[in-house]
Amino acid sequence: MTGRDRGRGGLAARLRGIDTVFRRELATVARTPGYAALAVGFGVALFGLVAVGGGGATGFVPAIVDLLLPVEALVPAAAVVLGYRALLADGATGELAVIRTYPVGIASYVAGVLLARFVALAVVVGGPAALVGVYVGLTAAPDTGIFATHAGVDSPLLYVRFLAFMLGLGAAYLSVAAAVSAIASSRRSAIALGALVLGGGVLGGDLALLESLSAGTAAAATPDLLALTPNGAFRGLVFEHVIGVAFAPETDFVPTGRALASLGGWTLGGAVGGGASVALARRVDAAIERVRSGE
Amino acid sequence: MSDEPRASGSASDDTGLTDGGDGPTDGADDTVTDGNALAAVSDVSRSYGGVTVLDGVSLSVSPGVTAVVGPNGSGKSTLLGILAGVIEPTTGEVRHGGADARKPVGYLPQRVPFRDGFTARETLAFYGRLVDADPDAALERVGLSDAADKRVESLSGGMRRLLGIAQALLGDPPVAVLDEPASGLDPTMRERAFRTAAERAPEGTAVVISSHNLELVEAHADHLVVVDRGRIAAAGPIDRLRADYDVESVDELYRAATGREGGIGTESAGSADEDGGVHVTGVSDR
Repeated sequence: MTGRDRGRGGLAARLRGIDTVFRRELATVARTPGYAALAVGFGVALFGLVAVGGGGATGFVPAIVDLLLPVEALVPAAAVVLGYRALLADGATGELAVIRTYPVGIASYVAGVLLARFVALAVVVGGPAALVGVYVGLTAAPDTGIFATHAGVDSPLLYVRFLAFMLGLGAAYLSVAAAVSAIASSRRSAIALGALVLGGGVLGGDLALLESLSAGTAAAATPDLLALTPNGAFRGLVFEHVIGVAFAPETDFVPTGRALASLGGWTLGGAVGGGASVALARRVDAAIERVRSGE
Repeated sequence: MSDEPRASGSASDDTGLTDGGDGPTDGADDTVTDGNALAAVSDVSRSYGGVTVLDGVSLSVSPGVTAVVGPNGSGKSTLLGILAGVIEPTTGEVRHGGADARKPVGYLPQRVPFRDGFTARETLAFYGRLVDADPDAALERVGLSDAADKRVESLSGGMRRLLGIAQALLGDPPVAVLDEPASGLDPTMRERAFRTAAERAPEGTAVVISSHNLELVEAHADHLVVVDRGRIAAAGPIDRLRADYDVESVDELYRAATGREGGIGTESAGSADEDGGVHVTGVSDR
């Protein structure tokens, strides 16, 4: 893949390229002790939250209520840790230049890297969260006092939905973090950009919404606006399809389709942006030099 | 080249090695498609931060060993990177005659970049899967079979370079571009690295090697390209260049072509970059 005039082969070749990069990336993640520590830390945090909050001893929905707010920060943080160097590592060491002499396209390369990181996210975030679910399922008992503050119809299915939305939130952050990593020039700048993604995503969306409302935007538009950000979409989906199933709210927390499209869009947009950054970096660099040279 | 008429070779000669520089060439497209040249760059320039590192160079390479020599900062690595297709030239064109090959160009950068945590076999297996090549055969070819299960980070510098050469030759590319494969190695490993790469030449591969070691160049190379100040100072078959410059050795040829009193000298471990002047201020030889 050293030039656009090179043959890329067919679908089978593309799939082989994705699979090959995927395996290498997954092996890299599996051999990095830090990610195992991240999973353990995430699990400890979740167990601690449901234990301290009391919801974990009562049922799935109370546990989800306890976890919802912290998860909005913890999952993006874990996703950014998994993604902030995903598309930088090979470029920084120079190995990407070598890989590009092989018949694997940029799209296949980025897809392989991101798919492996998504699997890692499912293990690092989904694994401990699933264990918490198992724990709640095995130990929860009715507690009137808790139910008084956590009204809801309890069901493991609700927790599974919560897990799915959680992974959707993580995928969005992972993809955006990976895309941003593609434009980083060093590990330090990658960390800075990753922190920017995390802070901007976790706090920026809600602050922007509040700013918008204070600027005169109709309150009725809140659900639509909320769905635009990953955190807003996640929170809305959890309220809409997990916590809110026990009662019939008068209005939607968030339009489901819009929220799902938002999470999918951030994920896809990050992947496309990352791929474009990797693909165009050399040409952009050369174009800048042409401008400098006045040619 | 251009500054030195004797080094001129604007038309593709019987070696397929063409030097452009300021002078006109018969076109990279022609040399790639019509001659036995397997890769060519045509009137390529490259700058970094506005400083020109390579200036209007044309070159084509054909089967055999082509050695690229020159002082540090002269633009060798940039030229090799452009030839390999991993560096985008600011201007000019790059063509590969083996575009139909599964892997048209093999490339070993100056710094061997393999990912830590993987063994030598796993590293080559990753690349091998992309071109249906056997990693164990590739390891055997460079004499690294015994180190197959060693992790990349625990390999010596020489072994890493051999692994890099094995990677570059994986999939039998028609063109192999090796940027200082013998840099920083002891004499035995240097010879081994050069010999391993050169062994592919009789099989029809165009092996392009940059090096500061003129003794190895003399022993293994068929063609020579002398790069100086971002331009080609001399290019052609070594025997012909010797005759043109009326010199006995590649070292003398280098000095004559670049106008320098001191040759590149014999490379020693860890001192590969200590000779020669850096002529492009503030710009590394990328």
